[in-house]
Amino acid sequence: MFQNRNEALLLALPAAVFAAVIFLVPVAILLSESFRSPAGWSLAPYWAFFSEPLNQTVFWRTLKLGLQVTAVSAVIGYAAAFAIVSLPAGSKGRMIGLVMLPLMISPVARTYAWIVILGRTGIVNQALHGLGLTDAPIRILFSETAIFIGLLQLFLPLMIISLISALENLPRDVVPAARVLGANWLQIFWKVVLPLTREGLVIGGTLVFTGSLTAYITPAILGGSKVLMLETLLYQRVTVANDFVSAGVIALILVVMSFATNLLLKRIATVRTRT
Amino acid sequence: MSLRFPAALVLSLVILFLIGPFLIIVAASFSAGDTLAFPPQGFSLKWIAKVFTVESFRQSFVTSMILAIGGTLVALALGVPAAYAMSRYRLPFAETVRTIVSAPVIVPGIIVGLALLRYVVVPMGMPITLALFLAHTALVLPYAVRVVSASLANLRSDIEEAAILLGSSRLGAFFDIVLPNIRGGILAAFILGFVTSFNQVPVSLFLSGPGVRTLPVDMLGYMEIVFDPSVAALSSLLAFLSMGIVLAAERFLGFSRYV
Repeated sequence: MFQNRNEALLLALPAAVFAAVIFLVPVAILLSESFRSPAGWSLAPYWAFFSEPLNQTVFWRTLKLGLQVTAVSAVIGYAAAFAIVSLPAGSKGRMIGLVMLPLMISPVARTYAWIVILGRTGIVNQALHGLGLTDAPIRILFSETAIFIGLLQLFLPLMIISLISALENLPRDVVPAARVLGANWLQIFWKVVLPLTREGLVIGGTLVFTGSLTAYITPAILGGSKVLMLETLLYQRVTVANDFVSAGVIALILVVMSFATNLLLKRIATVRTRT
Repeated sequence: MSLRFPAALVLSLVILFLIGPFLIIVAASFSAGDTLAFPPQGFSLKWIAKVFTVESFRQSFVTSMILAIGGTLVALALGVPAAYAMSRYRLPFAETVRTIVSAPVIVPGIIVGLALLRYVVVPMGMPITLALFLAHTALVLPYAVRVVSASLANLRSDIEEAAILLGSSRLGAFFDIVLPNIRGGILAAFILGFVTSFNQVPVSLFLSGPGVRTLPVDMLGYMEIVFDPSVAALSSLLAFLSMGIVLAAERFLGFSRYV
């Protein structure tokens, strides 16, 4: 440990000043602008924003999709992570590689693929028609369902990876021990596995939830111009209406939600592990 | 222990869900037909070839490469000393510095882009390319600091103290002792930063101008107008490019140890 404070500051300041000037200050001004109205500082822009039914719909849809994607990815994530952890070392490595593979591919490309699958002449509609279940193509693209599927595919790998590292740290004999003592699988999961892997679940959950809240590409491609989420609404308000006040309001909502999630989940993780 | 039937089934379905769309994109890019469809109509390389003839793709590819490589290098030039100060010195306000430097990860990219456009580019007359470069640098900085910090934490600090006791200067000790030992971490940070910057859309959305667009933003715009397999072809090419880089790094340096 070196003691020279000036040298330390000299090393650390360029990065801190850079991040502050390029990032913190402009973002802070943008957020503060959402409290400005012709009469001075006020919450009026927030009342105005939330009194529009469209904005309310978009707000609740964003929150709902975020929660749904997080919950479903947790359920699938546990199943997949369990299966992967119990594989022998070699194939475990290959499986983890396969799960991580999509993370290296551009989200634009990954989302674009869903157009081929869910579109009017896409694979799903062809299959439904071929099986005689539908007469005319059903509309799946440009809906909440399409966005849900796209977000789930985008963020599921992060949940699986977080749960794999949590499950790998699970002491080897706790599950057989609980089994011997007569617990059924549901009890084992709730009373043994979940408490011991909570931290991984919290990390994965934070990544998936904040990722879904602040997604732009997925709702832009799979939601179209009608089914908006907060980020696509922000983009539309700025480009179509030059409305920077609404943009500031949405920006603040997004920042508050992702900060709050980070803090809340961090708290849950520390409180639960202490008891 | 081999998997039981239900576990194997679940795992196969999950992998299919994660990888399937990518395979469809790859298949669609070899199609001979004129619209994006699966199964592809016939086999041809014409869409792969077309990607290289679209002028805007060529331009935006170069823009994205410069941003990803240059931005990540600048982020490392700022981030490595900061990480070193935080791990080896009694840095005043260390927590504040850490928070400021890693904040760009928590705030949604679209807000960063909009804020820069509105309060830096427009009032100060900053060129849009410079703003784009600075935004991408800020975006990568948290990864650079975090990965290099992890790498420094794994390196015992007494070896550089020993070097200094033996007469090396502090700067000399850093370049001769520390840097060669965290090379892998720096490379990992570079690759992570490169991929993050190259695939980034929201930050660059508002920071576009005539002739200045990053590749993913360009692809988004193109697919709204044209529904042919060229975006699929481009996507597959990019995917193979980034997989190639990551696999090479993994093979030669054991990249995954650092992430």
